[in-house]
Amino acid sequence: MRQWLANLFGNKPELTEQQRLRLDAWGKIPPAPLAVPVNEMRCVVVDVETSGLNMLKDRLISIGAIAVVNGQIALADSFYIVLQQPVASHKENILLHGIGGSAQTEGIPAIDALLNFLEYLGKDPLVAFHVIFDQTMIRNAISQYLGFAFKHPWLDMAYIMPAINPGLADRLRTLDDWNGHFDIRNDARHNASADAMVTAQLFQVALAQARKRTIFNFSEFMDLEKSQRWLNSQSSYKMH
Amino acid sequence: MSAIHSTQLVFLAAHAPFDRMEPAHLLWMLERMRLAYYAQGEVVVSPEQGAVEHFMVIKQGMVQAEQNLANAVEEDTWLELGEGECFPLGALLAQRPVASFYRAGKDTFCYELPVADFQTLLGLSAPFRDYCTRRIANLLEHSKQVIQAKYTQSSSEQQSLTSPLSAIIRRAPIICSPQTSVREVLERMHASRVGSMVAVDDAGRPLGILTLPDVLVRIALPQIDMAQPVIGIMTTQLTALPPHALAYEAALTMAKEGFRHVLVVENERLVGLVTEKDLFALQRVGLGQIGSTIRHAQQLEELQLAAADIRSMAHNMLAQGVAAEQLTQFISTFNDLLTVRVIELEYSASGLLATPLADSLCWMALGSEGRFEQTLNTDQDNALIFTVPEGMTAARVRELLLPVAKRINDTLALCGFPLCRGKVMASNPQWCLSLEEWKSTFTAWITNSSQVSLLHSSIFFDFRALHGNKTLADELREWLLNIASDNGRFLHQLAEDAMNFKPPLGVVRDFVVGKEKKLDLKLNGIAPFVNVARIFSLATGVPQTSTLQRLRASSVKMNIPAAEIEAWIDAFLFIQVLRLRHHDEGKAKGLGDEELDNLIDPEELNELDRRILKEAFRQARKLQARLELEYRL
Repeated sequence: MRQWLANLFGNKPELTEQQRLRLDAWGKIPPAPLAVPVNEMRCVVVDVETSGLNMLKDRLISIGAIAVVNGQIALADSFYIVLQQPVASHKENILLHGIGGSAQTEGIPAIDALLNFLEYLGKDPLVAFHVIFDQTMIRNAISQYLGFAFKHPWLDMAYIMPAINPGLADRLRTLDDWNGHFDIRNDARHNASADAMVTAQLFQVALAQARKRTIFNFSEFMDLEKSQRWLNSQSSYKMH
Repeated sequence: MSAIHSTQLVFLAAHAPFDRMEPAHLLWMLERMRLAYYAQGEVVVSPEQGAVEHFMVIKQGMVQAEQNLANAVEEDTWLELGEGECFPLGALLAQRPVASFYRAGKDTFCYELPVADFQTLLGLSAPFRDYCTRRIANLLEHSKQVIQAKYTQSSSEQQSLTSPLSAIIRRAPIICSPQTSVREVLERMHASRVGSMVAVDDAGRPLGILTLPDVLVRIALPQIDMAQPVIGIMTTQLTALPPHALAYEAALTMAKEGFRHVLVVENERLVGLVTEKDLFALQRVGLGQIGSTIRHAQQLEELQLAAADIRSMAHNMLAQGVAAEQLTQFISTFNDLLTVRVIELEYSASGLLATPLADSLCWMALGSEGRFEQTLNTDQDNALIFTVPEGMTAARVRELLLPVAKRINDTLALCGFPLCRGKVMASNPQWCLSLEEWKSTFTAWITNSSQVSLLHSSIFFDFRALHGNKTLADELREWLLNIASDNGRFLHQLAEDAMNFKPPLGVVRDFVVGKEKKLDLKLNGIAPFVNVARIFSLATGVPQTSTLQRLRASSVKMNIPAAEIEAWIDAFLFIQVLRLRHHDEGKAKGLGDEELDNLIDPEELNELDRRILKEAFRQARKLQARLELEYRL
């Protein structure tokens, strides 16, 4: 927390020469074009585990990700890393995501872990369910340890699913709800890898559904998300 | 870096053949797989796409292959594939396009492996290769082992093949040092009258084995120097089991590897040798005893005891995973023995043997008994055939025979063969006929085929001689084959009728079940095979009555590939074993013979058996498709 505040006030974290080179190399990768059919590109579906649900106070513990390449989940193109923690998180939390105290302190040092993640990701767009959470946690960590503002295209399945299935939106809200509806099983909920996997499967369902509405490009999905966000804000006005 | 989650492995490892593959190979496969999604109705793979590009495993959902009439006998004609199943194996192995349209029956996720990696994996993993190349045989082998495991836990002592090897070893093994000359080894084998010699090192660890069959090919034919050390010509890849391993493991090992010996090794030291003979001896004790009890029985009580022994022996054989063909043969053989003894005793008690009728009589087994396919609750189906002796009429002969037949039927009922509800028994005057009367009865059925005569022919045309003058039955068979093979209209009607018993494969679920959620293994499982085999045999003049032999013999005349026939036979036998197990379990629950049925709840089967059953039903569909093709139905 103190370190994070320090970063906000301009203190640059210290990277080794090699780490600096890695970060620069990543920075030079050109951004991926987004006006491209999802079936002809690579997207990375991500899920994180944290020490709690408070986005300001809690720390990033692990990142799980899997790539959807040309519309198919590439099992080998997947990523999982546990970040080394200064202190293990609270016991209840360990019980929830199953990463034990020793595994947390034994993880990869945060700077290397985040660099690994960026190298795995490249500049391909990210997909998550409830982006705001994953995005904030990753952005804070990158800001704290790598010292820059991580700006990246994200797609939020929590808006895409109701946008494509307006009839179901009232009943289905959480990732579990949607997965339950489409009969996508998750055998290890609250494990970042497994959650990324089922989110990727939900993404595949959405791709097939969107095809029928002639939505193909990643950028079109982002537009869809935007309009759904607007729709949600309108309905919350009405309610108040 | 890849981070395939262990749950993916766990999912695959719950299904054949992945459960038998080495984890390293599984991981190798997963790393090369992609997960694809197909919405309900979407085409997964189709003939137009050319040679198949992916090996697929269903993670979730269901895929259907649509029937393609042009290729009705092709491997992929009709399929409904569920979670954990792989496809399209035939097309992948042959590197050709699929024969049918594969569509997602509901929203489906499939793991897909590129065909080049599939080929590599065939080379890497033996269990995988085995599975892909001999799918049904493999599933069956698998199921056998599951059965064995299950029964070993639940069953009682006295099961010979489940005793530990330590209890079977008869004497210390005959051993030599690896440097002993070939000549000396042969002399010692001869002197101690053993079929094998094991070379051991100073610590007693086995190094090699020489067996009698080796003598011919390794010593006599190449005329080697007899003074050389024996180790040079020994088999050094040894198969060893620990003393606590069970006898059937040794039997399985021998069967699988084609060896006649298994070394018993404890703490690396050779402690004994188990031979094929030792294992056979175990089984024969029981069988031999029952056989001799029956042959010498004088009283009803002895026969009843023997009948009970047959059942418990059948139970043991089920437990030991004895192959279905042998098992049903066993049951038929002993039931035949028992029936013959009952007939002998009743004939002699009635004084019939002293009359001229003694040589002009033949007791026939019909229906499943005629086909050698009895289970543990089979009704009696029998009839008498006779020639009319000089100076007598058929009616008079019947008058003499019927009371004796009645006693035989009643005694058999007391031995656990329930009376036939349809009265298809020798004591029924309708079915106690002279050869001439049988011919005219059969002629009537064939020429004006009503529903009743079709039903009758399905029971009676499976007749075989059980006791007495066998030539009568042979003559009737020869006559029948002549008449039937010429009568296309009758065969066509039989074929139409056979199509009424469809295997209960579901379109939405795995199986179609009735209100009680049960499958009838007899009507929908066994009947398609039995009926088609009967029609083929009548059409091609095959005299055999067993479904297996009918299929094997008629396929040669019909140019059906042997592999196809063997798949049908495997399927048929599997359903037959399921029935036997179902009856066996019913017995264990204390059900009486009359209460045993053929209805099973597919939900109660384990995953493996459910899949084999599906596969078996698919084979039944294929067999029926062949029938449709032959008779243009």
